[in-house]
Amino acid sequence: MAETLVIAKGLGRDFRDGNADRINVLRDVDCEIASGARIALVGPSGSGKTTLLHILGGLDRPTAGTVEWPGLGAFETLRPRQIGFVFQSPSLFPALTAVQNVGLPMLLAGENTRANDIGASLLQSFGLGELGDKLPEELSGGQAQRIAMARALAMAPKLVLADEPTGQLDSRTALRFFDAVLSRLEDTDIALVVATHDEVVANRMATRWTMDHGRLTTGHRPGAAAA
Amino acid sequence: MHALDAYELYRFFHIGDDETAALRGVSFHVAAGEIVALVGPSGSGKSTLLACVTGLDEPDGGYVEVAGVRLTRRPEAHRTRVRAASFGILLQSGNLFGHLSVEQNLRLQMLLAKKPDDQRMASLLESVGLSHRARAFPTELSGGETARAGLAVALAADPPILIADEPTAEVDSDTESRLIAHFEARRDAGLATLLATHSRALARKADRIIKLKDGRIDRG
Amino acid sequence: MMFLLWIRGVLARRFLRVAGAAAGIALTVALLAAMALFLANAGASMTARAVSAVPIDWQVQVISGADPDLIGKALTEAAPVKTVHQVRYADVAGFEARTGGTTQTTGPGQAVAFDSRYFSDFPAEIRSLSGTLDGVLIAQQTAANLHVGPGDAVSIQRMGLPPAEVRIAGVVDLPDADALFQAVGLPPQAAPQAPPDNVLILPQEAWRQLFDPQQKARPDTTRLQLHVRLAHEALPPDPVAAYTFVTAAQRNLEARVAGQALVADNLGSRLGAVREDALYASVLFLFLGLPGVALAVALTFAVTSSGAARRRTEQALLRVRGATTKAILFLSATEAAVAAIGGTAIGMAAASLLAIIAPGLKATLGVDGPTLLLVAFFGLLVGFIAFLYPAWRDARWATVTAARRTVSRPKTPLWQRLWLDCLLLAAAGLFFWQSASTGYQIVLAPEGVAATSVDYKAFIAPALFWLGMALLTIRLSATIIAGNGALLRMIIAPVSGPLAPIVSAALSRQSGRLTIGIAMTALAISFATSTAIFNTTYNAQARIDAELTNGSDVTVFGSTDRPAGARLAALTSLPEAAAAEPMQHRFAYVGADLQDLYGIDPDRIGHATSLSDAYFSGASAAGTLALLAATSDGVLVSEETVQDFQLQQGDTINLRLIDARDHQYHPVAFKFIGVAREFPTAPKDSFLVANSAYVARMTGSDASEYVLMRARADPAALARQVSSVLTFDPSLKVSDIGQAAHLIGSSLTAVDLGGLTTIELGFAVVMAAAAAGLMLALGFFERRRPFAILAAIGAKPRQLAAFLWSEGLLILVGGMIFGLLSGLLTAWMLVKLLTGVFDPPPEALSIPWLYLAVMLGLVAASVAAAVLSARPSAGQAAEQLRDL
Repeated sequence: MAETLVIAKGLGRDFRDGNADRINVLRDVDCEIASGARIALVGPSGSGKTTLLHILGGLDRPTAGTVEWPGLGAFETLRPRQIGFVFQSPSLFPALTAVQNVGLPMLLAGENTRANDIGASLLQSFGLGELGDKLPEELSGGQAQRIAMARALAMAPKLVLADEPTGQLDSRTALRFFDAVLSRLEDTDIALVVATHDEVVANRMATRWTMDHGRLTTGHRPGAAAA
Repeated sequence: MHALDAYELYRFFHIGDDETAALRGVSFHVAAGEIVALVGPSGSGKSTLLACVTGLDEPDGGYVEVAGVRLTRRPEAHRTRVRAASFGILLQSGNLFGHLSVEQNLRLQMLLAKKPDDQRMASLLESVGLSHRARAFPTELSGGETARAGLAVALAADPPILIADEPTAEVDSDTESRLIAHFEARRDAGLATLLATHSRALARKADRIIKLKDGRIDRG
Repeated sequence: MMFLLWIRGVLARRFLRVAGAAAGIALTVALLAAMALFLANAGASMTARAVSAVPIDWQVQVISGADPDLIGKALTEAAPVKTVHQVRYADVAGFEARTGGTTQTTGPGQAVAFDSRYFSDFPAEIRSLSGTLDGVLIAQQTAANLHVGPGDAVSIQRMGLPPAEVRIAGVVDLPDADALFQAVGLPPQAAPQAPPDNVLILPQEAWRQLFDPQQKARPDTTRLQLHVRLAHEALPPDPVAAYTFVTAAQRNLEARVAGQALVADNLGSRLGAVREDALYASVLFLFLGLPGVALAVALTFAVTSSGAARRRTEQALLRVRGATTKAILFLSATEAAVAAIGGTAIGMAAASLLAIIAPGLKATLGVDGPTLLLVAFFGLLVGFIAFLYPAWRDARWATVTAARRTVSRPKTPLWQRLWLDCLLLAAAGLFFWQSASTGYQIVLAPEGVAATSVDYKAFIAPALFWLGMALLTIRLSATIIAGNGALLRMIIAPVSGPLAPIVSAALSRQSGRLTIGIAMTALAISFATSTAIFNTTYNAQARIDAELTNGSDVTVFGSTDRPAGARLAALTSLPEAAAAEPMQHRFAYVGADLQDLYGIDPDRIGHATSLSDAYFSGASAAGTLALLAATSDGVLVSEETVQDFQLQQGDTINLRLIDARDHQYHPVAFKFIGVAREFPTAPKDSFLVANSAYVARMTGSDASEYVLMRARADPAALARQVSSVLTFDPSLKVSDIGQAAHLIGSSLTAVDLGGLTTIELGFAVVMAAAAAGLMLALGFFERRRPFAILAAIGAKPRQLAAFLWSEGLLILVGGMIFGLLSGLLTAWMLVKLLTGVFDPPPEALSIPWLYLAVMLGLVAASVAAAVLSARPSAGQAAEQLRDL
């Protein structure tokens, strides 16, 4: 029974740039995410994908409209238990090893004992087992990105938001990796929203949302036909 | 004589007691009016090769000539002059100075190449679709805008040769198309472009593809 | 053009990194400038004080037969002269007086005549004890020997002439007898002679009448001296320059008179001693201050290096874009120039402000201009090096690609592999032990020689120690932090709770940065601690020295004829008086040597004055006094007397004291029970201390010439009360401890440190707080992205705080432990090294608890401030995340 995890209505987000001009990054966005969703968020750069993901993940506040997480509980508990996030730029904690990074959400949630094991097993399942003791500065961009995804999955959150998770990878590796992720999420009701410009990756997802100049256009309801 | 000639380039690195050969006798050229794609898996020596042909690194063997002018084994001042005058370099990331706006980044490049030209700057910004973001600072730009700004900087001094290292790695298809359009425009204008990439789409747009593997050109 | 574009961008968007460097430079420059200003002024005040302490600048002795007027003319040509007076001396075979049936005779003595208005120009030369100043005056000791007073007749035994009789008009004290009767023209190495005990002062006409014949008959027995006061306004303020000026003038005079006169340069000698003291003071406080400057420079470098990674990337990009090495260095230089010039200007302004509001720091541009220019140059240098050195070093990297990669492969630094820290500490120990074995003779001041010399080598020990401790701090901190062991986790456990393993893992990866932070904080705390402890001990000793010279808070000086003890009751009842005790001051012959004898009540003397253990050799003060109380005929003598007479404990020693009943010297037996090195009001010569009861019994006089008083709170107030009570006893002199502090001779403790140490202590606190807080804040600033990441993946503010507080705690705890230890040991070393200078040496370090507490409190507050301000607010987090 699919439950609604996130509901957003009329989202708007303004920023002020260097000249103190107002830029509307998001305009009047409505969307819903249900458990088990597989959503690809596509659109040209600058269209607002990152901002939307940040707001849906509770990392940013909209300047207009509302966002609620009926299926995920109180705002304070969203991360790390309910939502896992993968950022566009390198986001591993520089002073910790790969396996420590992956287990970090568990430590933050207070589950110290299992952190290392979960970390190691996730790395293993993505084929990165031997990188466990390496520091982020010793990893390539692609490796770091995959480890970040592993970190997002560490607490088996109900919702995973990923911003260009395969941007640093060449096509073959990207596909292989993404398939590994999807197979890990199979048979769970973890919702996955991926912002990407890789068509191959986008086509793997059941739903496609398109962003254009801050507006969310087609297919923003779960189950709608892919474009 | 081509726009860029590289002959039998060798480059070794020493890390502790180990010696790695990054380049083992690489020869190639890039002619005016063509786009050459340099492809190869990571670790094949692409970045090292680019560093050597632009004079940022000195090869251990072989030579590099830019429009017939020897670049290798010349004083640093000479190499810098040639680089400023002949190459526009677009890096995978970090193309812009954070404390300068887009406009100021362009102006700086022009000043370094001693070719300040306000009109050219305006048209360049227009051609990459950043006219309205001229005064924005790099931290305020989106990923695609950053890439396009980097291209504008690389082209600011109207260089005969454009070197681009993974230019489309972090951008969406929209931006990728724009970039490719620029490369093709250069080709049509009789300028040279050398791209290092692992994007098949991009490689297909090139006139020639050079495959690099383990520091050697793979003719297979 | 390009540079303007660049620097505008840097100032607009990277203002903090320039401002931080500028602030460090400002601190350096301000401290250095303030110290330079202070030292210049201290020198000037030392000169002024030395000048005012010399009653007679020059004594020009006219060779018999030479024309005094010619000499006088040469004098005014050679030097800027304020006043000149003529003084005539005549040797006499002795004095004789008959009182009450007995005749007293003295040994050889002097008859002196001062010209008119001498005493109004040189008032310090004479002090009236009884009678008037109008007529024949007799010195106190001579009056005692002859037992005469005003109105009595004294017969002068002239040389080769029949005796002459004069009538005494008054009894006087000659405070400057040493200089007055010095043998002019002796070589400087000759031992100074004691002034004559028997002196009569005659009015000029009387002297001419009586001694002109003696002069004709025996010209070698009379002398004419010109007593000169130079125009002090003409003297340069700096002691060294003043010394050179005066001695040059003296040589000029000697050249002009070509042997017709001899010059005793009292002022020159004094300035010579002061000159060395001034140098010593400079060295000493430069020593205490230079670590502060070094610290400020180190802070500046730390601040600029915190932006080094970013600048390195910028420079690499500049090379990609076609900028030559020269252009890159020029761009760096532009940034450097802004920071250096801005920082130097602010520093100079701050120092000028300090000069206005701090006492003792007036800046005279003519005098201090060149020094300040030097300081400004130094500030600029620091700024340029801080920016340009890393730029130049990175510009030499062959590959840009290598520079763009910021992988740091930690390698044990060279000094650590060479165990330089232990070597330095060992060397420090060696140098210190060497100084200790020579009895800490830093300042060599042979008896009787005016000049002092300084053993600068002795300061190597504390310098090496400080450096060695700094390096050791780095080593130990690095070991603990990088080791990521149980100790580290234990330290951070209070603030990191369950996150301890992950926090310690993260911290251990950054041990390099944390270690530098701990070392900087420790250095700053060490500097503050050592300066403060040294300063407090120094001041305490200065106070003790003054107390010794003055005897007690307030002392009333009288004579046997007019003893202060007669007014004891009135003095004791004064409101501000906490205690008043009488003390005898007599004279006794030890063999042929006349020494001061002090008679005390050992059980009560401690009420009015503190007697330190250091006053007595080989025993405590309490023990010695108890022994004296138990031995009624006991006597304490000087070390020299013990040597001269080969005394053993319990030996009988005969001293000749004046008996009040027959006014003759009679031997009195005493028992030697101990050695006294110092005693309140005692001179630097040998002296004796005995029980006043015994002395009174044996001499028939229980007069107590002095009264020592302790004030309840304010010695100056007590002195005022005493003076008013004693208005009708003009012969009694009242002196309080404050006055003594000003009159202390060439002792180093006379240097007034108030201004300098206030500045240094102030700076020390600022730097300690800055070092800790700044190093932390910089670290946090560099890592705001990882912290934003942590927050983004779900760290609660409390958990983020765990990371921040753990770092803060490490810096605080490490800095405090190493800093306090190092500071304490450095201060101890300094005080020990200066034992020879303190007189008496301090028994223990005086710890300024309040200052240390305030300083540590500020450091802790600074750490807290850095941590609290590092926690990203909601707005900042969002801003950071747009980057992610």
